[in-house]
Amino acid sequence: MRDKAGPHDRVWEVFRQEAEGDPMIHGGSVKAPDEELATHYAREFYGRRQESQRLWIVPRDAITELDDPDLLKPPFDRSFKRPGGFLIKHKLEAARERAGSPQVDEVAE
Amino acid sequence: MSDLDTQTRDALAELLLAMADDEFVLGFWDSEWTGIAPILEEDVAMSSVSQDEIGHAKALYELLAGLTGDDADKIAFGRPAEAYRHAALMNHARTDWAFSIARRFLYEHADAVRLESLAASSYEPLADLAVKMRREETYHLLHFDLWLRRLAEGGEESHSRLRGAIEALWPDAQAVFAPLAGEARLVAARILPESLEALRARWLERVTERLQAVGLAVPPTAGSPEADGRTRRTDEFAWLHGEFTMVSGSEADATW
Repeated sequence: MRDKAGPHDRVWEVFRQEAEGDPMIHGGSVKAPDEELATHYAREFYGRRQESQRLWIVPRDAITELDDPDLLKPPFDRSFKRPGGFLIKHKLEAARERAGSPQVDEVAE
Repeated sequence: MSDLDTQTRDALAELLLAMADDEFVLGFWDSEWTGIAPILEEDVAMSSVSQDEIGHAKALYELLAGLTGDDADKIAFGRPAEAYRHAALMNHARTDWAFSIARRFLYEHADAVRLESLAASSYEPLADLAVKMRREETYHLLHFDLWLRRLAEGGEESHSRLRGAIEALWPDAQAVFAPLAGEARLVAARILPESLEALRARWLERVTERLQAVGLAVPPTAGSPEADGRTRRTDEFAWLHGEFTMVSGSEADATW
C-alpha cells in the first residue's frame, strides 16, 4: 500500500489532537518535498480552521507497516483471546448467589 | 472614538483605509491562484492566506465604518477604482508565481513592521486589532520567506524570474510607506507611534538582510516614496476592480 514517493513529492501522514489531553488521531496526508513545507501544508489542511490543538507530521516512509494476514488474521478461531472470549455468565451468577446479591438478568459476555 | 477631534479622526480614517485597501486588493490578486497554483497543497495554502487578508481587510473596514458612521461593505465594494488607497505595489496583476511570491515577500515584511508599531497605538481598537493580525501574519511571513528562498536557490530560471520581479516591484514596494496627509497628526497623537519613514527604514533593513541571505541583489532605492504612492492607479487594477465589484454592482442595495 506504500506509495513510491519521489524526492519532490514525499507523502507525510498527519495526526491531529483536537484538545489538550485528547489522543492523536490520523487526519490524512499531504505531499511535500520536505519537513518545512510539510509542516505548512499540514497546518493548512488540518489546522487552518482552528480545529487542532497539535499536529504530528510523519514521513510515510518512517512508518513500519504490518499487514501480513498470517500474522494478523490467522485462519483459526481465536475468539477466546478476546476479553469476551470466556463465558463467565454462570460463574458470575454463582458468585452473586454466594454473596447474596440480587440476580441480574443480563450479564455481558 | 468620540473624543478624537475631526482632523485626527480624518487622519485615522485615512490610515485605516490605506491598510484595509492593501489587504483587500492583495487578497483578491492572490486568490486568483486558486485552482492554478504549482501544486495542490500550495493551491490550498495560497487560497487560505488570501482569505486571511480579506478577513483582515474586513476587520479594518469595520473599524473605519464605526469611526465614520459608514458601512463596511459599501466602503469595500462601493467606490470607483480611483478612490482606492492601496500602495502602488498592489497595482500589478499576479503575473507569474515568482512575481506573486516577490510581492508577497515585500508586502508581508512591510505589513509586519507596520503592525508591530501599531500594536502600541494609543487608539486602542487599532492596537487590539494589530495584535490579533500579527498572530496570523506570523505564518504568512514564514510561508513567503520559505518560498523566496526556494525560488532563489531553486535553479537558474526561478532565480532570474524572482530577481526580475524584485527589481520591477522595488519602487512600488516603497509606496506602502508613502506619506499620508494626516501623518504628523497621527504621530503627535501616538495613534501611529512612529513616522512612516522610520518604519520604511526598518523594513528596508529586514528585506535587505533576507535578500542578501539568499543571494539576491538589493535594487537601489531612489529616496523616499513619492506622494502619489497610494493614489496612482493602473489599468490592471481597473480590471481587477471590475471583477471584484461585479457581483455587488449587479444589484445595488440588495440584501445578500
